[in-house]
Order: sequence, then structure tokens, then C-alpha cells
Amino acid sequence: MSLRLVRIDDRLIHGQVVAGWLRALGAERIVIVDDASARDEFLREVLTLAAPQGVPVEVAGVADGAARLIALAGTPESVMVLARNPRTVLALRVAGVPIEVVDLGGMGSGPGRRRLHKTISVSPDELRELRELEQLGTRVEIQIVADDRPIPFGSVDPRN
Amino acid sequence: MLRKYGALVTGLALALVAAAAVPSAALAASPAAAAPAGPVHINVTLWQAALIALGYYLANSPWLFGLAFFTLYRPLVAGFLVGCILGDPAQGTLIGAAINVPFLGFLSAGGNLPADPAFAGWVGTTLALAGHLDPPTAVSIAFGLGLLGSLIFYLRMVVDSGFAHWADARAEKADISGVALMNWLPGQSFLLVVSFVPVFLFALNGPQYVQDALNRLPVWATNGLAIAGGILPAIGIALNMRFIFRGSVIPYFFIGFILWTASGGSMSLVVIAALGLALAYLHLSFVHGIDHSKAETSEAAGAEAAERSVEATSSAEPADREAGSRIRLTRGDLLRSWALWTFFAHANYNFERLQGTGFAHAMTPIIRRLYTTEDEIRAALKRHLVFFNTEPNFGNVVHGTVIAMEEHRANGAAIDEDSINAVKSGLMGPMAGIGDTLSQSTLTPILLALGIGIAGGTAGGTAVPTVGASATGNPLGAIVYVVLISVIIVAIGYTAWMQGYSRGRAFVMDVLRSGRIDRVLVGAGVLGNLVLGALAAKTIQVFLAPTISVAGAQMNLQASVVDPVFPGALALGLVMLTWWLLKRLNPLKLLVIYLAIAILAAYPFFGPGPASSSDYSYQACTSSLLHPYYACGIPPAPTAAPTAPAATPSSQP
Repeated sequence: MSLRLVRIDDRLIHGQVVAGWLRALGAERIVIVDDASARDEFLREVLTLAAPQGVPVEVAGVADGAARLIALAGTPESVMVLARNPRTVLALRVAGVPIEVVDLGGMGSGPGRRRLHKTISVSPDELRELRELEQLGTRVEIQIVADDRPIPFGSVDPRN
Repeated sequence: MLRKYGALVTGLALALVAAAAVPSAALAASPAAAAPAGPVHINVTLWQAALIALGYYLANSPWLFGLAFFTLYRPLVAGFLVGCILGDPAQGTLIGAAINVPFLGFLSAGGNLPADPAFAGWVGTTLALAGHLDPPTAVSIAFGLGLLGSLIFYLRMVVDSGFAHWADARAEKADISGVALMNWLPGQSFLLVVSFVPVFLFALNGPQYVQDALNRLPVWATNGLAIAGGILPAIGIALNMRFIFRGSVIPYFFIGFILWTASGGSMSLVVIAALGLALAYLHLSFVHGIDHSKAETSEAAGAEAAERSVEATSSAEPADREAGSRIRLTRGDLLRSWALWTFFAHANYNFERLQGTGFAHAMTPIIRRLYTTEDEIRAALKRHLVFFNTEPNFGNVVHGTVIAMEEHRANGAAIDEDSINAVKSGLMGPMAGIGDTLSQSTLTPILLALGIGIAGGTAGGTAVPTVGASATGNPLGAIVYVVLISVIIVAIGYTAWMQGYSRGRAFVMDVLRSGRIDRVLVGAGVLGNLVLGALAAKTIQVFLAPTISVAGAQMNLQASVVDPVFPGALALGLVMLTWWLLKRLNPLKLLVIYLAIAILAAYPFFGPGPASSSDYSYQACTSSLLHPYYACGIPPAPTAAPTAPAATPSSQP
């Protein structure tokens, strides 16, 4: 499986993802890994139906999601992975999912959060998680839409 | 307070309309009509420049019922309005239509703006009209303008974040009116200054600078710009193909292209669109029925299942409302809230909260009705000032649902802040996914393509083209587009809002499960591809200059070899190549590459090149690889001095 895109976006499936990324990547399947959405029947159904026709969407919690992604690793299917936050992606990585690159696509602002670039803001915990991901060998980049040039996390990390 | 805003809006709108209606002669305007060849001293008056700058501001503003983004923001409409201001609406529409094509696949979502079509449209048309540039040249200048405009957007997105904090401070004081005010006054004041000033200066001084710059260029280079104007539309069309050129509807693109070419450009785009509707119906009946959609159940069963699942998961829905509610929202509250959202959703658009302050603004009448204590008001204002973003029409279902939840909460139902936030954050993304696909990727491009087609276009096809002088533009194109898109967008927004309020999640489920959206998208795919294919044939101009000897005579390569086999083959080849290239290249890079190629292709490698812009000699034409206006060897139709780039007879390259 080619993990065409592993994307952190707190809104999961939305305009840029559907109208932009999906077409650009030619992804054949979307796997959403999010504990909260997996537990909520209504949300799960909305997410499943929100993708355009012809692209199956799966919603799974972290544990099931990791297993599913590792299983999909053998297939040649082109998959897009969506998660709400770095914590989820870190958990997946630690569980053994081969994530080369993680894309920060949308992380909203709020109290205690610091804006890194355009619509990407992080909390101190998230900064820590992203740095940990980099130490595990995963490249962290900011690329909001497919036409943007990816910006390495290192260049916006406040510690650098 | 709404009355004051209403007066302001009406005043501005009337001013714009009145100025456009008043004959430009009364404003001591410059003659924009019959253009003499050679350098012309064009004068855009102070008033005209001010109106144009105001128009650009309005295109980004909330004042036009939130419809500015779909109307004034688009070069087609901007061109028409600039034309009205400068005294030539027909030509303005023509130029605006031409500039619009490269921006056809434009999509702005989640605070991202690739380029600014409004700047390209308003400033580009001004420069072109006042400087007597022909549409192809205007197109190649316009894309640079689009990039300039996105700088203004970026600036505003950053600065508005600060105003969001001012709104926070008001919320802390439980000041409902204050929060509302902070959503529009500071942001719009800033936007007014930062939009008005550059465009005003450009409009006033730009045409002369552009003229001078163009005059300094050798003739072949200005030809290069015109050639670029003929091939850049391919990028706009290919960008649009990214959305709709897929699956079972692919053939319709080619059918549209062939229809237009085979009819020699005489088939109007309205007729093609009508044909598209009929074909969409047939396609859905015969083809799509086989492609099974997600909706396995019938609509009725879908709705039933929706109600069941909603009861199982959520709390308060319509049933509770009847049972002795103490505080009830009136229909007026709902309408006011909807209007506030529709107007001011993006009034303080910023990177930090995106539509957050707009959401709070829309909730102010609701909060005013439902909550009385300072603590409740403060809490409500703060919870609705958080980050929020969705598509502002279909996404209204989120607002309706949240309003219903707030109403129940105010009446004592056990709904905590977390559930309300969960609904917002859970739904806003998916609703945006569907909404943006509907409004920005499907509806707008199709209607724009229709409007552009009606607006008129380049003298094209493969019949003997008239050099430079294009067919006159038709302002009806802009008007038809504005009317259609406004009606449909407002209808979607209103329905989603009210249905969200009265049925909440059940409505979402119903719409999603019934597969209605998929069917609409497929039908739109048929119509869109057909119209897009026709537009491609109409707007992409590639003329080969080289000749080959046929039976002893020198004949144009394209006219003698390509056209008899498949007229328009070059244009079709170019758009397919562009579509393929866009999978690998960023559109901006491709734009620059095409511009470079166009200018190179105009370089007179093989001969001395044109001595002046009105040099149509065979020798001049065949000295380069491509020609902007016609296939060499075929003399241009006799016209008066053409309104081509007003370049002086300049030196040889």
C-alpha cells in the first residue's frame, strides 16, 4: 500500500481534502483514525458518506486503525490516512505503521495554542509529539493544499 | 442596529449602480470606444478609479448578502462592471470573460487562496480597457495581478487575527453587541484601506505605465503575450477538469469540444448547456443506474433509518420543543441569525479562527433571546468564538442544528458545552467537503463557463479569423451568471439553515443517505464536461506559423495538414497535455512555463519578424513558430484598424 498521504487535520474530511487532495493524489481509499469518531455512530456515518462516491471511507479507533493500516501495507492500494491530532499519528507510528511523512494540513487555534504557519497552530503537548515523531524517523511537513510547496516542520519549530 | 447597516449597504450599492448607469461622458471620462492605432493617451478619471477601487473592495466584503464571492469576485462580473464604469460594458465583459478562463478552476477553502481572481478581474480589465489591449494580452497580464491580490488576502488574514482577540475581550464582558461589532468594523475598515488604495493607484496610473512598457517591447514580444493569452486558458480548463473529468462522464468533454468545433463556433453555449441537461438526465437513467451509489435503500427507508439513528445517539430534537418550552426562538430570530451569517461569515476571516468570529456574530440574536444572566451570556459568546470553518451555504445545517441545541439547553435540557462543540467540530469538516464540492467545484465553474460562453469570445475556430478585433462582448453573460448563481446559492443556504434547525441530524442523514447529492454531482459532471469542452474549443487558440510546400505552393502547415483531418486538434492536444502536466506540476509553475514558451514561440527565428503590429505580411508571419491571431498564409479578413496591442512601429528585434 502506498500511504499516499498521512494528514493531521482537526476537521478530518472537508473542502480542501475532498476537492483538492483526493483528486491530486488519486487515492482509492480513506482511512480515518480517531477514537472519538469511531465511538460516535452518527459521526462515523457522516464521515463515511462525506467522501465522494467511489472512494470508500473507514473510520477506526487507534488500536484497530493501526492493525488495519499494517494489514493494508501489503496491498498496492493507494490510501489516504486522516487523523485529528499528532497524538494519534504518534500512536500509530509507535504501533508499527510505516509512516514516512506526516502532513500538517489543519490545526485550529485556541487558548494556549501558538500559530506556526497560516492555519496551523499547536499546543505545547503537540509540539512535543511532533518532535518525537521526527526522532522516530518520520518527516513532518506543512502542506495545506496539494499545490503548496511542503514546508519542513523544522523551519517553523519555535525551538529552532 | 441592523437598520443602520442596511442603510449603509443600500447606500453603497446605489452609489455603484448609479455611477455605472450614468453615461461616462457626464463624468468627463475618456473615450473607450473606437481606438486609433499607435500610442493613445488614456485617462482614467479620479471618479472612475475610485469606483473601480470600491468595486474591488466590495468583491471581498460582506455587504452584498455574502454573494460578492460568487459575483463581483469573478473576473466575468468584474469585467462587466469595470466596463460600465469606463463606458464600454460590452468590451469590458469580453475582457473579463477572457481573464476569467484561467481562473475557472479556482477554489478557496479553509483560509487558503491560490491567487486572487478579483484583483486580476478588476485591475486587469481596467488596464486592458483603458490601454486598448486585446483579450489575449489582457489574459497574460492578469495572472501576475492575481498573485499580487493574494498578498492583500494574506495581509488581511494575519491582521484580522488580532481583531478576533478584541472580540474575545468583549465576550469576557458579556457584551453581545460588542462581539458583533468586532466581527466587522475593524476588519472591514482595514480591508477597505488595503484594497482601495492599491487598486485606486493602479487604475489611475496603471494604464499609462502598461502602455509605455508594452511600447518599449519589440513587436514580436507583444505577439508573444497574445500567444500566451491563447494558451493560458488551457490551464484554467485543465484545473477544472481536475474536479469533474473523471469516471463515466469523461466522453462528454470531447463531445462538447467536437460540437463547438464542428459547428464552426456557431453553436451557442446556452444551446450546448441545454443539451447537457438532457444528456445528464439520460446518463443518470442509463449509465449511473448501473454504477451503484451509496444509497442502497430508497429515500423513504433512508429517512426512517435517519430518524432512528438520531434518536439513538442524540438528545433533544423537535419532540421536546412542543412540551412547554419557557423560552422560544421566534422566526425573526432565526432569519436575523441567518442573515447575519450570510452577510458576515467572512467579515473578519483570519488564520487563527477562520470563520470563528463570524459564527459568534451570527449567534448574537440567538444568545440575546435565550440567555439573560451575565454568566450565561459570557459562556455562550466564548463558546461560539472558537475556531470554526465550513462551507457557508450547505454548511448552514451545522448552524441550524447548533441553534436548536442552544434552545433546548436554555430550556433546561441536559446538553453540555462539550456536546455542542462536538457537533460543531464533528460536522463542520464533512459539511464543508460536500458543500465546497457542490458550490465551488461544480456549480460555480459550470455557471461561469456558461456565462463566459454567452459573454462572447475570441474570433476563433478555424474559419478565417479576423485579426485582433474580436466579436463584441455580450453583457448578458455576466448578468445571467449573477442571477443564476445568486438564486441557487441563497436557496441552498436558506434550506440548509432552516432544515438544520427543524430536523437537525436527521436532515443531514436524509440528504447523505438518499444519494441525492451524488446524483446531482454526476448530472453536473455531464453538464460541466460538455460545457467545459465547448469552452476549451472556443478559448484556446493555437496557430502554427510554419509552412510546408504542397504541390509547389507554400501552404500553412496547420491549415493544410491538421485542420482538414481534425480542426481544433492542436487546442485539444494542448488541453489534454495541460491536464496531464497538472498532475505533476504546480499550476503556478505551469503558468510561468507556458508564458515562457509563448514568448519563445513568438521569437522570429526564421525571418525578420513583423515590422509593426499591423504588419501582416507573409514573411513576418512565418518568421516564428506560433502566431497569435491566425494561421499564416491565410490573410486576415479585412477590418478597420484593429484594436490589437497599441504598439508603435518599433525597431527590429
